Amino acid sequence: MIDIESLIAQSAAKIHERNGGRALLHGEIAPNSYWDAIIENGLHLAWASEESGGFGADLSEVAGAIWNMTPAPLPFVETLIANKLLELGGLELAEGRASFAIGAADGTHIIPFAQQVDDVVLFSEGQIAHYKSSDLSGTALDSLSPDTDGVADFSKTNPINSAQTNISRPMIEAIILTLRSVQMAAALDGALSLSIDHVSAREQFGRPLSKFQAIQHQLAVAASQVAAANMAASQACAALSNNIESAWHEAVIAKVQISDSIEGATAAFQQVHGAIGYTMEYDLHLHTRRLWAWREALGNEHIWAQKLGDDLAQKDSDNLWRGVTTGAW
Amino acid sequence: MNRFNFPTIKPDPALEELRSEVQAYLRAEKEAGNFQSEPECWMSSSDPIFSRKMGKRGWIGMNWKGYGGHNRSALERYIVTEETLRFGAPVGAHWIADRQHAPMLVEHGTEAQKEDILPRIAAGECYFAIGLSEPGAGSDLAAVKTKAEKLPDGRWKLNGQKIWSSGAQHAHYMVSLVRTSPPDGRNRHVGLSQVLIDMSAEGVSVKPITDLAGDAHFNEVTYDDVILPADALLGEEGGGWKQVTSELAMERSGPERFLSSYATLEQAVIELQGKMGSNARARLGLIYANLRTLRGMSFGIANLLEQGISPETEAALVKDLGNSLENKVTQNVRAMLSELPMNELSDTMKRIINIGILRSPPNTLRGGTSEVMRGIIARQLGLR
Repeated sequence: MIDIESLIAQSAAKIHERNGGRALLHGEIAPNSYWDAIIENGLHLAWASEESGGFGADLSEVAGAIWNMTPAPLPFVETLIANKLLELGGLELAEGRASFAIGAADGTHIIPFAQQVDDVVLFSEGQIAHYKSSDLSGTALDSLSPDTDGVADFSKTNPINSAQTNISRPMIEAIILTLRSVQMAAALDGALSLSIDHVSAREQFGRPLSKFQAIQHQLAVAASQVAAANMAASQACAALSNNIESAWHEAVIAKVQISDSIEGATAAFQQVHGAIGYTMEYDLHLHTRRLWAWREALGNEHIWAQKLGDDLAQKDSDNLWRGVTTGAW
Repeated sequence: MNRFNFPTIKPDPALEELRSEVQAYLRAEKEAGNFQSEPECWMSSSDPIFSRKMGKRGWIGMNWKGYGGHNRSALERYIVTEETLRFGAPVGAHWIADRQHAPMLVEHGTEAQKEDILPRIAAGECYFAIGLSEPGAGSDLAAVKTKAEKLPDGRWKLNGQKIWSSGAQHAHYMVSLVRTSPPDGRNRHVGLSQVLIDMSAEGVSVKPITDLAGDAHFNEVTYDDVILPADALLGEEGGGWKQVTSELAMERSGPERFLSSYATLEQAVIELQGKMGSNARARLGLIYANLRTLRGMSFGIANLLEQGISPETEAALVKDLGNSLENKVTQNVRAMLSELPMNELSDTMKRIINIGILRSPPNTLRGGTSEVMRGIIARQLGLR
């Protein structure tokens, strides 16, 4: 359910290549031409329904676009999520770079990619509200990733638009976790490609590293984790596409599985690269640093595994088995 | 193009109906005390009476048409087999014949063999053992030395030794990979063939090997001038290597490659109902996510197989990942149970967890070791 060959995904791939492909990723911010091309092609509105002013594309196609743009340094996923929230609130969509925040009890909320966005959509229980970034005062957060998050206090600012909603927090979590899972699966795949290229080119002891069984097996195991991440993200997309109200479970599974996969896979990718993988100059960290950051975003896998377990502990073994075999809960 | 081919499959109401039927039956059998749940049941837990019951229900021989087969889809068979694994039912007697050798006979058997053997397999009455490994040929399977010599009248004379053949002591037949002509220089893959051996034939002897837990489910099988009929050759003479590798690819992605230890988890969840602390819950959440993902991958391959596509690398990948998960499940169940004092655990639970631990080493060995699987994956990645 991640269609990387859909029209939308192909157009995303073209935009990515035209704006520098691998090379551009070293910038902290993507060139303006990249974002302009996203707007021109309407990709930022692709997922929102037609009634809300979007194009109503299927999530599998949108996921393909996310896949092909990962890990470009721009808030594409954040904008897709923000516009989906606006759609769910029945509000007008954002025209430019947007992000989202999900209400915390103390009134301060984390905004992914805060430095680069013009609009922020805040979900808090019972309400969806649209803010202008320029109206918010916030600070940058220390981050594992080059894409800096921010934290802002929304309590002293008025939104430009807002609506009451009966959308629940788990539905919002399902949206965020699912789209992030696609990004994580894509970044894992990208890091695997870099690793294969590196060990094929780099020679030691008179032969390419790829000819050493110790290297082959490390990457084979990592590739299995990459495939598992892909499956988890695909199942989450299928569930969200099918019904947002029942999508939470598969989204959390994807979060836990992929974060679990990241642990072993990124260790292998860094290891087979040797010291060059530990440099700012080389591409690997563009994937691995973001993976480590996304793994933590909205709480890491330990928090979410606990939530899944809390749910499972309330049910019986039939329920557990039904979940394993059908994903139904 | 995606790096690997793992389609995402939507749940199918018709399959779920079949699942309920199988579930109800297995639950009733278990509650009647007709079997005790065990991990790794498909290998080590054999009960011919139970196999016949499965046969009567139409749950063996689901994938072939005629000859006692039920002409149902590979996906329906998948549902039945995964349910038996969940319940830890004693399916070991018929498992190998149903999974591996019946499809082989459908493809390569003579009319007489099909008419004679397939209906008995479907009835849960006829069992098979695998003859691949030898004392000198483990992961290096092409090193097999067992020899079938063609006699002037077309029959074969078989000499050699197979090892680790599970269930050979109960099996009616064995299919072995043997050398029918010498290797072509350094190419050892030529000159190998598969032969069907009647275990009651003169010169076949079976010697059980006791495993580390004291059970004797695998065996050493010796062939001493065994005379096989001409039609014992399955498939092409000299085509054995290709047949074996494609057969292995088919059987590496099934549910028994990641659910061998599920019966242990099932019992632990029953045991810990209402008593799970936060450590147990976190561990359960993690392995649940892992199991759900592996099931998606394995079932995705079942769908490809149903369409006639046999993805060798994906199957190897599921086996490697799934076998690691089987052991991870057992280890996490140990941790989950540690929240309760030992004397609060039922005897059933203690028995199952012990069996689970003792039966874990072969998970990552049989059907091709993890190292062999990683070699296959590495080749697909372009590293070999």
